[in-house]
Amino acid sequence: MMGKIGLFLKNHLIPIIAVVVVAIGVVFVNASHGETNAKAGRTPIVFWHEMGGPAEQALDKMVDNFNKSQNKYEVIPQYEGAYDEAVQKIIQSHGTSVSPALFQSFDISTAQMMHSKYTTPVQKFIDEDHYDTSDISPVARSFYSNKGQQLAMPFNTSQPVLYYNATLLKKYGITPPSKSPSYSEITRVAKELYAKSHHKVKGMTMEIYGWLLEEALANDKTKLINNGDGHQGNPTKINVNNPNTVKFLKWIRTNIKSGDFVNYGSGASAETNEIAAFLAGKLGIFVQSSAYIGQLTTGNKNKLGISYFPHPDGTKANGVGIGGAALWISNDKPEKVQKGAFEFIKYAESAKNQANWQVATGYLALNKKSQKEKALQDLYKKIPAARVPGEQLASAKPNNANSGILMEGMQLTRELEETAMETVYNGGNIDSALTAANKAMNANLLTTNKADGR
Amino acid sequence: MLKSPASGSSTAPINQAETKAKIEASEKDFSLNAKDKYYALLFLGPSLLILGVFIFYPMFKTLYLSLFLTNTVGKPTVFVGLSNYINLLTSADYLNSLAVTMVYVLAVTALTIALGLLLASLASKKLAGIGIFRTLFSSTMGVSVSVAAIFWLFIFNPSTGFLSLVSTWLHLPMIGWLTDPMWAMVAVIITTVWMNLGFTFLILFGAIQSVPTTLYEAASIEGASSRFQFFHITIPSISPTLFFVSIVTLIDGFKSFGLIDLMTKGGPTNATNMLVYRIYKDAFYSGNFAQASAESLILTVIIALFTLLQFKVLEKRVNY
Amino acid sequence: MNVVAKPKLARNIGSYLLLTVLALVVLAPFFIGLWTSFLPTMQIAKGNFLSTDLSFQNYIDAFTQTPILHYLGNSLVISTVTMFAQLLFCSMSAYAFVFLDFKYKRSLFVLVLATMMLPFEAEIIPNFSTVKAMGLLNSYSVMIIPFLTSAFGIFMLRQSFKQMPAELKEAADIEGLGHLQFYWKIVMPYNRIPLITLGAYSFLGAWNQYLWPMLTTFSNSFRPVQNGLRQLQSEETFNDWGMIQATAAIVVIPTLIVLFVGQHYFKSGANEGAVK
Repeated sequence: MMGKIGLFLKNHLIPIIAVVVVAIGVVFVNASHGETNAKAGRTPIVFWHEMGGPAEQALDKMVDNFNKSQNKYEVIPQYEGAYDEAVQKIIQSHGTSVSPALFQSFDISTAQMMHSKYTTPVQKFIDEDHYDTSDISPVARSFYSNKGQQLAMPFNTSQPVLYYNATLLKKYGITPPSKSPSYSEITRVAKELYAKSHHKVKGMTMEIYGWLLEEALANDKTKLINNGDGHQGNPTKINVNNPNTVKFLKWIRTNIKSGDFVNYGSGASAETNEIAAFLAGKLGIFVQSSAYIGQLTTGNKNKLGISYFPHPDGTKANGVGIGGAALWISNDKPEKVQKGAFEFIKYAESAKNQANWQVATGYLALNKKSQKEKALQDLYKKIPAARVPGEQLASAKPNNANSGILMEGMQLTRELEETAMETVYNGGNIDSALTAANKAMNANLLTTNKADGR
Repeated sequence: MLKSPASGSSTAPINQAETKAKIEASEKDFSLNAKDKYYALLFLGPSLLILGVFIFYPMFKTLYLSLFLTNTVGKPTVFVGLSNYINLLTSADYLNSLAVTMVYVLAVTALTIALGLLLASLASKKLAGIGIFRTLFSSTMGVSVSVAAIFWLFIFNPSTGFLSLVSTWLHLPMIGWLTDPMWAMVAVIITTVWMNLGFTFLILFGAIQSVPTTLYEAASIEGASSRFQFFHITIPSISPTLFFVSIVTLIDGFKSFGLIDLMTKGGPTNATNMLVYRIYKDAFYSGNFAQASAESLILTVIIALFTLLQFKVLEKRVNY
Repeated sequence: MNVVAKPKLARNIGSYLLLTVLALVVLAPFFIGLWTSFLPTMQIAKGNFLSTDLSFQNYIDAFTQTPILHYLGNSLVISTVTMFAQLLFCSMSAYAFVFLDFKYKRSLFVLVLATMMLPFEAEIIPNFSTVKAMGLLNSYSVMIIPFLTSAFGIFMLRQSFKQMPAELKEAADIEGLGHLQFYWKIVMPYNRIPLITLGAYSFLGAWNQYLWPMLTTFSNSFRPVQNGLRQLQSEETFNDWGMIQATAAIVVIPTLIVLFVGQHYFKSGANEGAVK
């Protein structure tokens, strides 16, 4: 067989070479596509981020405006895929010429980045520049700081919220969920929608996503790991098999059993699919990051309803933690480059840019002054529901349970949470799924602490 | 199917390997020259250097890393002996990975061979226009892993995909193709078999074509049915090729990565978390380089065993 | 199979029917993919699969909004260079094993063969450190250098070289050709066909690389097409199926054309017994 390919190639050698040459030519003509090198006289600042879709467009625009606003630096954005895969890319490429000067890394990687000692805490530049951080949300800032030192600057910050199709609920005469709904309230709406639409519309979904499980615990004032979710010291014990996790999973199980729940699985494709179904009017309710508001309002003919993250019946919502990512400065680049990276951070945190960022993406504007910006005012006028995530953030009293989890190896922990969720969604026993997850999580934690000499 | 030969695979065009290996027995030296060793250095040096740096050295380094724990940035810190291996081989999670990889590899190999054989025997019929079918059957050879994944991801998509539409039209129950553990495995197997089919078809078709027609003529005179001929003439005649294609498909199956990464990311519930994907995930997601190294070595042992088996059979073929 | 068919017509109709059904099954993913690549994503999302609202818009979008051409170009560069490098280094090594006499020849050959047992997939961790130390990350070189040679290629060419008539070498010795001249002027041209075969093989192998480039490239400037498609798929979170299918079609159509154009080579080739 291979001999035949050989014969074919031999007989058509000249056309094949011609095609190859033309194609290679195309590459070089086309070489400017995608990335640009810094213009003469400017310091290039390679910026790795994980924003896809509309958020990437908004970010590229912000970078472009920054580059136009001054002539010392040139920020070069590069998309590095999902949050999870970017972490190791950042760590493993550190110290080489291709590593980023500035990078975006997600909430749960904070402990890892801190322990790696591969970054320059932004506190250094804040002090040098006498940069006033008081306008930037303190809740978000404290998430990325340790012992009073700002490690990284919160950038894209989101809240998990519950989205519902208000138009559909009205059509079928269903009372929408309250502003801070309980589990049973959501079950009621989902069941009614499923029944009244004659099973044409699925009631609800909850992505198999560890973040959502963690937020459910936070909202129930439950700490996943000891030492105050890692805020009071290095964690040594994880407890995922607690009554409140069981409560959360039982709630979902109820809906799965009554048929109103649809499972889209996990990962980016699950999010894409649930949004597609929601926009197509095939799904009534889903819980997801507020960062999707942008996508959910453009081209959506139906009225979008938003409420707080649901809480268990009979308890008051503790408020949820933030999600999202922060901007870090690598310490393997010259001082000048690091300074430039910080210049961009300051630019990104400005009232105007944060306002535009929220309008374009749904991530919350972190600068207090952004609320007065026209862009944001217009958004609230057009879509009043867009206020909800910010209100949820403001309503939460920060405590250890809802300030994120500061532990190295959170990615693995999250994966194990997701495996447990998957097991339960597919009909497995809740207790045994959580017991297995708990055992594996603690074994990993033990190994991590041992390897790091802690 | 056509994986990189550089990646150590031995998806040899069977004809070359087999017919030419026969010559091996008659080892003949063309020249004996004192200067030869300098030329040998020149001619062989580059290849040995590359193989040494990227194939041999890493094996020892992997072994070394697998005996330690690695810290936040992937550096070995604490020597733990064989405990990474012990942990792996006693963890339900890893045993599950081994099991699902076995299921996948066996299912893919069996189905690829069965379907390839069916297509090849049909395409061997002397019919007008049969050439068109031969081309069509071999067409998946031109599909690379990411293209195959995109095509099939759309087919399996739960909300807007082709199969979900078909089940809506026919009022069939929806299948969670990529979200149900069992069906996700089925989906990955179907996609892999589809990708493998073109190449396997071509090889088996070629083998069937080379069976001497006199065998069939004699059988026809005896009044043997075509089914009898297929099982008693075709299959035995092409059995060496069948064995070879099976082993190659098997080894490629163990090394499956791209489709898993694109279609299921090892999920749901680790139902498709196969060996190579695990290595990638443990190392380049979770940063557990030590454990991933131990997993790498286990994978190497498995693949080396099958490659040895392949060599052994090759050797036998040479001898008769 | 030269079967003497009795009820010929009926049997043939049955065969054609079976062949057609199987061909449709094999081709279905192509049809579905191609068809949707011409549909607006809106129609796909609504499930209007039989919409007649066909256009080239997805292709225009793919070419203008994504670096798909750039990805294709990267793959072409990497695959072409890998192919020529393997042809050179594998043939040189094979030459040494066949025409040169030196110490440990047999052991070295066994050693080379042994590398075929060691899967590259299981060596990515140390290899990553190696290329990082060499400063090769995010470049064409990182996807070429580890694959400059291949044990399989050496093995295959060695078998071909051994089949060359001994008289050729004797004649070359009488002519006074040195090893370099003999290698370049006689051995290489004489073994055109196996060389072209190996070339096709290494080209496809490099073209289909997935895991290694995924680990070692960080920007679109060097990302090959397999990883480029992955990138587009994860980047395009808005479920733009029409455009994603168009990018897949752009990648697969050239290979399919080559396969279809070359069909009679495959057909007759099999008859000649290229595959046994």
